[in-house]
Amino acid sequence: MSGDSSQTAPGEPLLRVEGLRTWFPIKSGVFQRTVGHVRAVDGVDITVHAGETVALVGESGCGKTTAGRSLLRLIEPREGVVFFEGRDLLKLPKKELRDARRTAQMVFQDPMSSLNPRLRVRDIIAEGMDSFGIGRDKAERTERVAELLERVQLKADHMSRYPHEFSGGQRQRIGIARALSVEPRLLVLDEAVSALDVSIQAQVLNLLSELQRDLALAYLFITHDLSVVRYLAKRVCVMYLGQVVEEASAEELFRDPQHPYTRGLLSAIPSIDPDRRGLDVSFEGDVPSSANPPSGCRFHTRCPQVMDRCRVEEPQLIQLSGRQSRCFLSEEGSCGVSLG
Amino acid sequence: MSEFLLEVQDLVTSFPGSGSERARVVDGVSFNIRPGEVMALVGESGCGKSVSALSLLRLVPKPGAIESGSVLLDGKDILSLSVPDMRKVRGHEMSMIFQEPMTSLNPVVRVGDQVVEAIRLHEDVSVKAARSRTLELFKQVRIPDPEVRLDAYPHHLSGGLKQRIMIAMALATRPKLIIADEPTTALDVTIQAQILSLLRQLQQELDTAVLLITHDLGVVNELADRISVMYAGRIVEQGDRREVLANPGHPYTRGLLRSMPGLGRPGEPLAEISGMVPAPADWPRGCRFCTRCSEVLDICESEVPARRRLSLTHHVACHAVEATE
Repeated sequence: MSGDSSQTAPGEPLLRVEGLRTWFPIKSGVFQRTVGHVRAVDGVDITVHAGETVALVGESGCGKTTAGRSLLRLIEPREGVVFFEGRDLLKLPKKELRDARRTAQMVFQDPMSSLNPRLRVRDIIAEGMDSFGIGRDKAERTERVAELLERVQLKADHMSRYPHEFSGGQRQRIGIARALSVEPRLLVLDEAVSALDVSIQAQVLNLLSELQRDLALAYLFITHDLSVVRYLAKRVCVMYLGQVVEEASAEELFRDPQHPYTRGLLSAIPSIDPDRRGLDVSFEGDVPSSANPPSGCRFHTRCPQVMDRCRVEEPQLIQLSGRQSRCFLSEEGSCGVSLG
Repeated sequence: MSEFLLEVQDLVTSFPGSGSERARVVDGVSFNIRPGEVMALVGESGCGKSVSALSLLRLVPKPGAIESGSVLLDGKDILSLSVPDMRKVRGHEMSMIFQEPMTSLNPVVRVGDQVVEAIRLHEDVSVKAARSRTLELFKQVRIPDPEVRLDAYPHHLSGGLKQRIMIAMALATRPKLIIADEPTTALDVTIQAQILSLLRQLQQELDTAVLLITHDLGVVNELADRISVMYAGRIVEQGDRREVLANPGHPYTRGLLRSMPGLGRPGEPLAEISGMVPAPADWPRGCRFCTRCSEVLDICESEVPARRRLSLTHHVACHAVEATE
């Protein structure tokens, strides 16, 4: 029912996020006056086409989770546009938002805290179908729960059990089955495999690629783990302190990273090749607070290639062929077109 | 005197099981560590690696208990020490770095004072002397502005800085052995790289032996000299870092390495290990990996595989492996 009834115009991406800003007020004093803002997400653009995987990558505090939640309005953003299936989600009244959001579902990192421990698996998965009126009656919905469980490689008779009876990997499969129950076209996966052991993580990643192939799902894959990204994503947005600093196809990003932050992130991943040892720790220090981001380029306090200009002037995303980088160094040798 | 700093022989640690039988979550684990050597204990959650580490410190939470085996530290039998003597060993000759620095630091005491306290617990020195030693330690673990940080509370500090404080505290008594349980798992990748390179520099400067407990084979490759791979309470493979990573002998080790997404080619399915680690009550009688192994033989279900040598330093417990004696 979802696939054909798409309201997305031909050529138009399934999801187009532009200039998304989510700020949290900092309150202080007896009267709890707002004295500043944490600019968790500060002007983020993301495009996801139907059936493709886009990864949103960054370290803790970079705003990737807030961005994922804001675009579905689980957190209300301050400004921006979020075109999903042809409608701007940020302009919809609450009532219509509920229906618009059916086709964009979320899968969270910790399946234990996102599954209601008092409900049986059948009711957890059928809850969304109940509220959206999918399926004629209870029997039909139960039948569909059985199908979904098999789809995520669990057994139909697991539906009478409770979440605590499952392992972490199985619970994540239940979370995925629940998201699939309402026939979404986009899944926002927030660190969905990060808590799993590597052998189980491989199983869930394989399941996700299978589901994508069979159901033409689009994924916005939010993670801190670049090795997972390389395997799964088609395009990658790298975030730092609330902004996208580099956007490229996964292949190009790993072969030839443009932004110094991306290069540092990639060289910090420990290899399992016994001949390659010794990590590059080219940038030191911690991520600054997004309540008080550095002037100029937000990365300049940690950047090994910092120039005087970076301390005062804020770089825009520079358009390179088929990719973007928010760094003055990318201006040289590029077409030099700056996007505002 | 033995060439080894730490010798662990047939260690068995059990917890009450479902019936009257106790579940041996560490079941006959043996390994040695030379002075100044880094041994990694690798495996997935529930394989018994953390319980092994806690057993060495005799900190197994009740109702768990060490059943049998021996642990010699510098020739001293750890398991037969009196409680006060054990307390002296802990934190003095052996110290520990935990995964979660936030929960191991006292939130209402300044971090400098916490290190001073740790020093004075084991050595009879003045507060002033301990404080100047703490400042030295802070410099040694490369804490920026160390004088200022002495008076900081844990919540003032980032995760990376807190882990540096924990390392300073672990080094405070100049231990011979540091047990590091997932020391970088809670950190971001750029901070992890900093801490890993710090740990390696310190380990070389101070010639401290390290038992590194982790599930991350990349971290193992960065720090370890030797590797022990654990599965369901037993060590299934042991060898030099290069031997185990370049030439893994056990199907479980191979599976762990292959399921790393960094190695997968986009578009192709990742190699996975089917199923999951069974609960201790359901551990198979023979080779415990037989329910998930892609190379399983009939004998695997009934007989525990013996250790087979692949080289002088590399051995594997697997029926499918031909020993090279």
